[in-house]
Order: sequence, then C-alpha cells, then structure tokens
Amino acid sequence: MSSNIERCYQCGQCTAACPMAEQEQAYKIRRFLQMEKLGLKSEEPMDIPFIFYCTTCYKCQDNCPQGVKIVDGLLSIREAAVRDGNILPAHRKIGQMLMDSGHAVPGNEEGKKRRLQLGLNEIPPTVASSEKQLNDIKILLNLSGFDQIVAEEKA
Amino acid sequence: MTELSLFLGCVAPNRYPGIEVAAKKVFSTLGVGLADLDGASCCPAPGVFRSLDKLTWLTLASRNITLSEKKSDDILTICNGCFSTLKDANDMLKEDPALKKDVNSKLAEIGHEFRGTQDVRHVVEYLYQEIGVDKVREAVTKPLNLRVAVHYGCHLIHPLKDSKLGLAGKPTFFDELVEATGAISVDYEDKMSCCGAGGGARTAILDATLKIANKKLEHMTEAGADCIVDACPFCHLQFDVGQAEINHKFAKNYNLPVLHYTQLLGLAMGFSPEELGIAMNIVDTSRFIEKVKMDTSENEVCTIV
Repeated sequence: MSSNIERCYQCGQCTAACPMAEQEQAYKIRRFLQMEKLGLKSEEPMDIPFIFYCTTCYKCQDNCPQGVKIVDGLLSIREAAVRDGNILPAHRKIGQMLMDSGHAVPGNEEGKKRRLQLGLNEIPPTVASSEKQLNDIKILLNLSGFDQIVAEEKA
Repeated sequence: MTELSLFLGCVAPNRYPGIEVAAKKVFSTLGVGLADLDGASCCPAPGVFRSLDKLTWLTLASRNITLSEKKSDDILTICNGCFSTLKDANDMLKEDPALKKDVNSKLAEIGHEFRGTQDVRHVVEYLYQEIGVDKVREAVTKPLNLRVAVHYGCHLIHPLKDSKLGLAGKPTFFDELVEATGAISVDYEDKMSCCGAGGGARTAILDATLKIANKKLEHMTEAGADCIVDACPFCHLQFDVGQAEINHKFAKNYNLPVLHYTQLLGLAMGFSPEELGIAMNIVDTSRFIEKVKMDTSENEVCTIV
C-alpha cells in the first residue's frame, strides 16, 4: 500500500499538469510530495485544507517522469491528517451520511418523485431498501473505527 | 442471455434515475440483462472515502463485490467513480492475499467472504469491448443529428490505463460509440481534462471546482456542441447543476444539456426523451428535445422515401 514518493526529485511537472493549481495557486502538489518525503506530514496546519483540493484526476501522475504514484501518496497524506483530527467539516458530513444511510448521496424528495415518474420504485433497490443490509454496513464501519473518524469533535 | 449485476451507486438512483432506466433499456435491446444488485451501498467514493480511511473504503467496496459474487455475475457500473473504486478494490484484493485475509476477517462479521471470482466493468468499455461498435450501430433505429462534446472523465481512463484500449495516445473508444449513434463527436481543447468534482473537492471547495468546470464548458461551447455526453453521474451533476451555479456565480450564460451515454444511445434506439428522463436536469433541455424529435422524424421520412 506504500507509495514511491522517494523517487520524486522536485521537477514540478506535477504542478504544471494540475488543473486545480491552474485555478488555485495555493494548491501545490509538488510541495506536499516534498513534505511527505521529509516526514513533515500534517505538522504544518497552514497546508490544511489545501491537501484536500486534489480532485484525483491523475494528470500529475501521468505527467511524472519518475513514475511516482502521486495520487496514492496524496491520499496517504490526507489519511494521516484525518487521523490527526484534521477532517474537513464537509467531509465529516458526507461520512455521517454514509454511516446513516449507506449512501454518500442519499435519496431526497425530488429524486423519489423522478423515480416514480420513470416507473421505478420510489426507493432504489440498494441498501436504502433493506434495514438488514444497512445494519451490515454499520457493523463494518464500526469495526473499521469509521464512526470515530466522522464523530463530531468533543467540546 | 448474458446477465450482469447493475451497480447503481448513489448519484444515479438518487438524483438522475433516468440514467438507471436508460442503462436497462439499452442493454436489454442489445440482449444483455441487467439485474439489480440488492443491498448495494455507496461504492464508496474513491477520492473522499479513500482519503478518510483506506481500510474502511476497501472493506465496504469488497462487501459490494461479494454481493455480485453470490450471484456469479460480473458487476456493471454506470459511474466512473464506482468503476474506479470497485475495480481497484477487486484488483488489490485479488493480488494481495494478506490484505484479502484482513478484509475477510471483517466481512466474516456479517457473513460475507470476498473470493475474487468476478470482474468489474464500466458501461462504456463493456459496450466497446464486449458488444462492439458495429453491433451498437446496428441497434440504432433513429440516427441522431447532433454535435456532441464527449467527456471521458478521469476515473474511466485511469483504471483502464493497462488495458488494450489505446490509452497511451489519445483514446477514441468513447467517441466511436458516440458516433455509432449518428452524432458527431466534436474536438475541443482540454477534452481529456477533469470536470473538477472528484476527490471530495466539489463538496469541500465548490467554487474552485466550478472554475475547472467553467473552463471545459467554455471550450465545449466554442466547439459548437449541442450537448455534453458523459459516462459518470457525478461528472453529469457537476456539469448540470454546475452550469446553474456558474451562471449565477460567474455571470455566465451556459445552456448545454448533459446526457449520460446510455441516454444518448437510448434516443438513437428510438426510446423517447421522456422515458429516458432527459428533461430531469437542471439545464433546460426543451429545445434540445424538440431538435431531437424533429431530426429523427425527418430521418424517418427520408428512410420511407
């Protein structure tokens, strides 16, 4: 599961190919790779929330002359930050939706209306249709400690 | 009749159910049955949930795969994100016995076991590789007179990088399928670029993701496209809901209908825009629907003459 960040020699081809860097100059994938290589991980609070700007489009990785698995590396950096409690509120909210419904985007009234108009069941044939299956999801999420990751911060 | 398990994901069934209907209709027409995968959950999304906790992501993905293993079906995804998660998870678990053991110790708690017997497929690469462009073309009864801006999407391309689809150069497989409907796939700048939504970015930093989408929309409009055709309900949402957000926030005036490939093919197979849910978008599709209806009726007249 490890990435190969040590191969990075800081040429900057990653940032040059990045569609997010083009729009948001504070987002510098090259800098995060160097920090990770130096073991600086999430010790720099100024880099939160920028590590969460990546759309995982893989353009950086496709452009890397060293074949660094950049996206895997960035996802590990994010995971470490989240373990240190640096989860973004928006991501906590989606995590909680997954805990509650088994879906990151659960059904809503408009969606149900559209389903009925198309001749589909109002509730899709997913975990949304089964209490037992939803309970299975919750068991797995609790086993992985995901409930703790997305729990509200203690006051 | 070949049968596949249809993996719905979240955005298609809960926001754009027209895509779910269209997938079933076009596959049935092509002689492939799509069975519901009862009890499936979020894939879970490859960027956001893999960022939060990789083992959770892998465990939930493997549970979804075990649902299809129980039926001895391969999984068919209609979403790039679901494809990326389920294919990556399937490959990782097939290749790493220690990881498989770890995940299976968790799945055992709910009476599931990952065996690694099935494959994960995406609707576009399946049509291209298993059905073939010629057969898709033969199933077209109402050729479409449209200029289409094809959006491949990052998580369709990346999981296929080691496949035979010629991804080292400029891929054409999606364009070929679009052109099999009679439509023209227009060339535009940054065609292979991201919609901006993935990785948990849309929910966390909406405006930055809209700037990325705006750039693509600008190029699609310049190319004179009648519509966008994608293969991912999340890219679909970013372009459809995103146009309204961009028009409002950045004072633009975009009005480009967004279709999933299954909806485009459904139109070309003679299904009506209404039964494919094409009007169930934020972008007003009424003029587009009028054009499709007028063009196809003219084509029919030509065929009769």
